[in-house]
Amino acid sequence: MEALMHVEGLCKRFGSLEVLSDVSFTVDRGDVIAMIGPSGAGKSTILRCLIDLEKADGGTIEVEGEALVKDGVYAPPQQARQITSKMGMVFQSFNLFPHLNVRRNLTMPLMMVKKVSQQEADQRAQELLGKVGLADKMEAMPSTLSGGQKQRVAIARALMLNPDILLFDEPTSALDPQLTAEVLGVMRQLAADHVTMLVVTHEMSFAREVATKVLFICDGGIAEAAPPQELFHHPRDPRVAAFLGAAGKKD
Amino acid sequence: MSWSEILTTTSALMQGLGVVLVLFFVVLAASMPLGFLLTLCTRSRFKPLSWLVNAYIYVMRGTPLMLQLFFIYFGLPLLGEPFRTLFFDALTCALVGFTLNYAAYFAEIFRGGLLSIDVGQYEACKVLGLNRWQTTTRVILPQMVRVALPSITNESITLIKDTALVFSIAIPEILHYAKVAVSRTGSIVPYAIAFVIYLALNTVLQIFFNWLEKRLAY
Repeated sequence: MEALMHVEGLCKRFGSLEVLSDVSFTVDRGDVIAMIGPSGAGKSTILRCLIDLEKADGGTIEVEGEALVKDGVYAPPQQARQITSKMGMVFQSFNLFPHLNVRRNLTMPLMMVKKVSQQEADQRAQELLGKVGLADKMEAMPSTLSGGQKQRVAIARALMLNPDILLFDEPTSALDPQLTAEVLGVMRQLAADHVTMLVVTHEMSFAREVATKVLFICDGGIAEAAPPQELFHHPRDPRVAAFLGAAGKKD
Repeated sequence: MSWSEILTTTSALMQGLGVVLVLFFVVLAASMPLGFLLTLCTRSRFKPLSWLVNAYIYVMRGTPLMLQLFFIYFGLPLLGEPFRTLFFDALTCALVGFTLNYAAYFAEIFRGGLLSIDVGQYEACKVLGLNRWQTTTRVILPQMVRVALPSITNESITLIKDTALVFSIAIPEILHYAKVAVSRTGSIVPYAIAFVIYLALNTVLQIFFNWLEKRLAY
């Protein structure tokens, strides 16, 4: 298996609060990694460090052999941008551009960053909207879409730039169960297409059924990393068992 | 006053319309970009720049526009060259004074507009690879303008009315011609006509901005 991303000893503090201490893991091509764990454990912070929305205080993040940060020292901005451009990100709150219609939401970044023609960008947008089941929403304004539709547009927008790794930061946490199902459906489809994904989620069924590997994040570190069958049925760390027990009762 | 006298007086007052329109369009076109530049300066990571610009905004908003006009037109030339030549023409002084003053107000309006934009918009731009310029022009500015539009409308209406202040530095505009007509005729009607002209200008302005607001809605 080809390693796409390698994280070693990642640390992050907010002031005096240590959010992440010594987080290490590897992402192989085609991996679907679910990051689960209690709120405030640092799951989102890990994702945000990977794509340079937060600066790590120490450790190494390598993407396809190139270091965004090595032993706490960051690559120069130009190079950092080039490295993070290999990743796409989907946010909990969608973050679509409200003043642009769906087509322009998808095509504008591609045209700005990769200098492709409007026609070419339109074609790709149409194709990806079809993939997320919204082919008829090309000209719709974001404000007219449901939450689930917005998130599917956001996924299509992230795919426009053809990233090697797609990061999802609690993509369904703002959605009701029905809309959650429609977004998870798209993500399952992506997993079936072997898109490499890192997903911070509270959807245990998704982690169980779709993930190739589950990271249980707790107290600023990875308490357990294992394939889902193992982690869900034979957790080794008592904190995992306690969390899953509580989550199971909630279901 | 007879209808023909009203007509003559109105056309006399209309001589001042050119000045009003020149002031309005030039000042608006100059002070909005300048104001946005000031807004960006107040957000600069280079602290002395942000302090300087904040002090500028503080002074321009905290003192009377008419004083500022006097300062430029009557005051600066007293300092000798090059001010004597630079600020010889009253209209130039008015354009400079109004632009500097209105830019300070627009800077504050735009600052409010920027505050209303969710941090997620910046983050989305970053992960999509947009640079600072693209982020500002494609994503932030359009949303900021939409939020700031009601305040921009307000400021524009005030600008139309404020043009009457140039009367004080001897630029003949609508108010000047109204006063002349009142002295000549001894009638109150020229003032009434001035009211109507200003109101008409602002009516057009409001219709335009209402249309713009609808157009930019999302």
